[in-house]
Amino acid sequence: MTSLYEEVTQVPDGVPTRRVTITVNGQKRTVDVEPRLLLAHLIRQGLKLTGTHTGCDTTNCGACTVLFDGRPIKSCTMLAVQADGHKVETVEGMGTASELHPIQEGFKEEHGLQCGFCTPGMMLAAKALLEKNPNPTEDEVRWALSGNLCRCTGYQNIVKAVLWAADKMRDQQA
Amino acid sequence: MTATQENRTASSIGQRVLNVDWQAKTSGAALYTGDIDLPGMLHARILRSPHPHATIRSINVNAAMAVPGVVAIVTGSELPDRTYIHHGGPMSDRRVLAQGTVRFVGEEIAGIAAETAAAAALALRRIDVKYKSLRAATTLQEALEPNAPQIHAKGNVSAHRVFHWGAADPLRPREVSVKGQYRFGRQTHATMETSSIVARWMPEAQILEIWTNTQAPFIVRKEIAHVLDLDLESIVIHEIAVGGGFGAKSKICEYEAIAAALSIKSGRPVKLVLTREEEFTCTKSRHSFTIDLETFATRDGLLSARSAQLLVDNGAYNHSGPSVMANGMQVIASLLRVPDVELDARLVYTNKQPGGQFRGYGGPQVAFAVESQTDEIAAALGMDPVDFRILNANRAGDVTPVGWQIHSARLVECLERARDEIGWAEKKKWAGSGRGVGFAAAIHVSGANIYEGANKSGAAIDITGDGVIRIRFGGADAGTWQKTLLTQFAAEELAVDSTRITVLTMESHQTPHELGAWSSRGTYMSGHAVGTVARKAAQKLRELGAVTLGVDVNDTVLRDGYVASGGQEVSFARIVELHCSGLLTLEEQIELPIEAVNRETGVANISGAYAFAVQAVEVEVDRETGKVKVIDAVSVHDSGIAINPIGMESQIVGGMAMGIGLALGEELLFEGGQSMTRSYISYPLPRADDLPPIRSILIEEVDPNGPYGAKGVGEIVLVPTGAAVANAIAHATGVRLYELPATPDRVLAALHGGTVKRGVSLWRRPSRWWIEGMRRAYPLGAHWLLHRIGRRFARPVVPLALTAIERPTSVEETAAALTRSGSRAIGGGTDFMPARRQGVATASTLVDLTVVPGLSTIATDGSGLLLGAAARLDDVSTYVAGTPFEVIQDAIDQIANPQIRSMATVGGNLCQLNRCWFLRNDFMCYKRGGASCPCYAVTGDHRFYHAVVDGHRCQSVTPSDLSTILTAMNAEVNVMSVNGAHTIPMTGLYKGPGETVLASGEFIQSILIPHATAGSGIAYAKLNRSSGDFAMVSAAASLTYGVDGVISRARVVLGAVAPTPWVVADAEEILVGSRSEDSIAQAARSWVHHAHPLAGNEWKVDAATSLLERVLRTAAERAKESGA
Repeated sequence: MTSLYEEVTQVPDGVPTRRVTITVNGQKRTVDVEPRLLLAHLIRQGLKLTGTHTGCDTTNCGACTVLFDGRPIKSCTMLAVQADGHKVETVEGMGTASELHPIQEGFKEEHGLQCGFCTPGMMLAAKALLEKNPNPTEDEVRWALSGNLCRCTGYQNIVKAVLWAADKMRDQQA
Repeated sequence: MTATQENRTASSIGQRVLNVDWQAKTSGAALYTGDIDLPGMLHARILRSPHPHATIRSINVNAAMAVPGVVAIVTGSELPDRTYIHHGGPMSDRRVLAQGTVRFVGEEIAGIAAETAAAAALALRRIDVKYKSLRAATTLQEALEPNAPQIHAKGNVSAHRVFHWGAADPLRPREVSVKGQYRFGRQTHATMETSSIVARWMPEAQILEIWTNTQAPFIVRKEIAHVLDLDLESIVIHEIAVGGGFGAKSKICEYEAIAAALSIKSGRPVKLVLTREEEFTCTKSRHSFTIDLETFATRDGLLSARSAQLLVDNGAYNHSGPSVMANGMQVIASLLRVPDVELDARLVYTNKQPGGQFRGYGGPQVAFAVESQTDEIAAALGMDPVDFRILNANRAGDVTPVGWQIHSARLVECLERARDEIGWAEKKKWAGSGRGVGFAAAIHVSGANIYEGANKSGAAIDITGDGVIRIRFGGADAGTWQKTLLTQFAAEELAVDSTRITVLTMESHQTPHELGAWSSRGTYMSGHAVGTVARKAAQKLRELGAVTLGVDVNDTVLRDGYVASGGQEVSFARIVELHCSGLLTLEEQIELPIEAVNRETGVANISGAYAFAVQAVEVEVDRETGKVKVIDAVSVHDSGIAINPIGMESQIVGGMAMGIGLALGEELLFEGGQSMTRSYISYPLPRADDLPPIRSILIEEVDPNGPYGAKGVGEIVLVPTGAAVANAIAHATGVRLYELPATPDRVLAALHGGTVKRGVSLWRRPSRWWIEGMRRAYPLGAHWLLHRIGRRFARPVVPLALTAIERPTSVEETAAALTRSGSRAIGGGTDFMPARRQGVATASTLVDLTVVPGLSTIATDGSGLLLGAAARLDDVSTYVAGTPFEVIQDAIDQIANPQIRSMATVGGNLCQLNRCWFLRNDFMCYKRGGASCPCYAVTGDHRFYHAVVDGHRCQSVTPSDLSTILTAMNAEVNVMSVNGAHTIPMTGLYKGPGETVLASGEFIQSILIPHATAGSGIAYAKLNRSSGDFAMVSAAASLTYGVDGVISRARVVLGAVAPTPWVVADAEEILVGSRSEDSIAQAARSWVHHAHPLAGNEWKVDAATSLLERVLRTAAERAKESGA
């Protein structure tokens, strides 16, 4: 079993790092990164934003979902240098304890969480959906969340949470 | 009812209280093990066996230690000569690190701790282990052969149990019987957080601190102390968020002691986070069972007896195997009233990853057999399956033949309710229509006394002078609502709002001994323990409050944090300040009078209460493709009183979703002991759009033994699901599946009355003879030769260090960049990044096409729709909506999922590597290693993703869905390089599975899709296992009608059936010049004589034929509409 591991190469000495500037949750962050560094690892280890979780490192589980210029992406699949000059939003940028984002409120009110590991990724996938489609059907919500795995909830309360948030956000717009 | 309950102001029991962690978990603040970052922390990796069975001759770590950054390596010989305790006694057979022999692919051989994870991973490859490969027994059959290799010294049968429980009832003669064999695959927990630990040894203090995502901190502590020979008190477990359990972490896992040993050796903190691949291949899984069952009943429909032979695939080590098998046997004796049960069960070692504890604990496997057969015998008697179950339902007061004493049972009501909710009265007549309904029932323990001390639990409470009320509890909350329930139990006794109560869990030195959340004991045991300690605290507060107020204790009540009497009151905080110096602490260890499991007779009342459940599902079975979809699901539960209905409903819905997964697709699969299900992509865990809404219904009744009337619910939620789905398929189709999961191949085989065989003839096809010869030679020794000898000459991709990302500013610059050695074009990276990790692709320089001006173009002009190679899939989907090219959206929107579509590009999709699960999962196959290596699909499991037409040395297919639809649309590919541009038709893009004709340095610049002529219609369809999965079959067709109503042009393409997108020329020939209604059915079947399927994928020929027919019909309709 040899290829189980995320990185099996040794970077030769003298490989230059790249300076990148990424707007993370509205704040410009400039960091020097190795070319091979994944965005997820930059977010978690470099920027210490550990609300973005990594569950598979192979584009499947969606726990590492962040918004990249507003689109949902899996940050385990993007290199940090590719984010240079772009906007990244993580769960830490969604809302504050005193002012929850309606999606966070929906997850609270409709009990859209159990172990919590998938929750940040779910909420960001939901945010991308609601920005594109403020009034989704249940099927549309399920489809939009199909890139995010959850093993605890059977998705049901998560779907309800997103629909709850959609209602609330439409009310706020009205 | 307790005294305080009589006096309380409001009850917390039964309240829909919010999850106590909602804020931490919706803000991202919850700290999981992987989030911990300690000063000086090292990162660990585990060296694992590549062999299913081998002797270790030597281990040399010198070269690995020389890798910069490596700090410590630990091997088995350095550790105390001990095995894990597990269930104790002679069944304990597993060491922390292998010594002498390895028994499965993935077994732990050494641990490495280094300054970075990359250094640790690199050093793994430098550990030199010399093996002597041994003959392996990787299947039950191989392990049971007379001359089978011996996996352990005691032989391959780890446990053989023969029991006769109960006795024949003369009033219930055996008048009718049904027998059958039922097989149930291996499921894995797939917790969202992979197994993780941080261990910190503090040499001066001789203290080992541990943060680990366990369900049972005290068991981890006990086991680590034992295997590393440490003092129990020197190990401190800390509280941490746990990202899912389901039994995976209910005992010691196999990584925790390794991290601890590395920390002790290095004197530094060590973090070990398993990869998802390790999680799939090296952690414990659900045991697979093969059950020969016979059920007997009277002509009146009363169960007389059951007789069963069980074979349980244990994997390489025992863990909880004996106990899982025992629970399965007890369920056979207890599910519905059956007086007489004979059992013969063998637990068999195989050279595979071991089975272990998993939600349901043998229940789902046996329930599949028992409850399938319940339907069968009801049918044999001409009885309604629900009526039959009602007649035979367990009732309060029953004692089952295995000694389970049932004090509360609402099984009859559960059956009636499930029947009504699913609408059986109406749907019963659907039998055989392709849509159907199935039921299954279940029984399960609420905390079984199957482990030393499992009938004990502890809890402590602190009430402080500054108003804190805190519960300290040694269990963990892996997403089960455990912590929230603890607040409710305490709130109930103290008559305060549960949100006022805080909880500390998992901390081994601050909580009383408690074994944790498993065996559905979380609610049951903690309810008793916390209830008891809080009740005593309440009494103490009333006594002290009475003193403070100068009244008789019997005249006091508790109210919202006060002791009140008449018109006066005093707060808890004040009482504690006055009488307890600011802290009232009580600690309680309870022991419930529950019998311990009896390993001799098997008969014992091992749980304080038994829960019941009935599930009803409605399925739709596609008779032509074999795909089953659950479209309605109801789960009705008698789990006593719901302490928190939200928590219980959450457990039910999530559990049934997991049950639907195991019923329809989830299964760990192996070839020669090596797994090809090492990622979610080859393991179809249900996604949000795979599942129907699941309705959970609680039939509440107080269980006299349960805390506050509650029983357990965590496991029973998926015990009946597999059987209910199988029964629904039987109702829908009239045929029964005897093996789960109900994959399309199995469903079609059942419908055909055996394996799908079309009788492919090769004698007039000499071009296929050598392939056929090769395939026949494989089992006769060719496979062995290539696998054992040929692989030594393998030439796999050599991983390059990724050192640069180029971002060209023009197409010319891009072309120039791609001429340099080690460079590779990248679009969204959604294929390359995983492929790089899987060792099948590499690059030292990535040339990012997405930033190149012009390459992301999406535009229409007179010649057609032009898609730049770097156009993102979701942008294309949005653009084509409402245009004549809208059919492309049908294809794109079924590719993967939103995140991938927002990254992935058109060029990347077309150029992705093949998705063969052998190639992608570390098999050194022909495609990975070259001509000297075998194609593992020939003899391995090739049911879903391999070719049925034109297969060659590599049996896999081109996975791109876009290639199917774009070929049907007669697209052209504009190719660029430093030598200039040229154009090739889509039909000429591929030369093999996932292999394009592009030469080194060439890249796709754009795709041109010509306008369809008037009178054209295009359609696309895809058959996959779960949402977003790659196609097992895809089909696309473009038909054009002439003015005379005759088809003038046809392009027909099948995807995922051949190495490249396969143009169905025979169909085109039939269609052109005909009217669609005459020719479509014939055209759809026309290609079958080209088929040359493997032994197990012939069903795909049928499925592809049907899918193609549908696509042709849709295309014809659209063509007529467009012409009209």
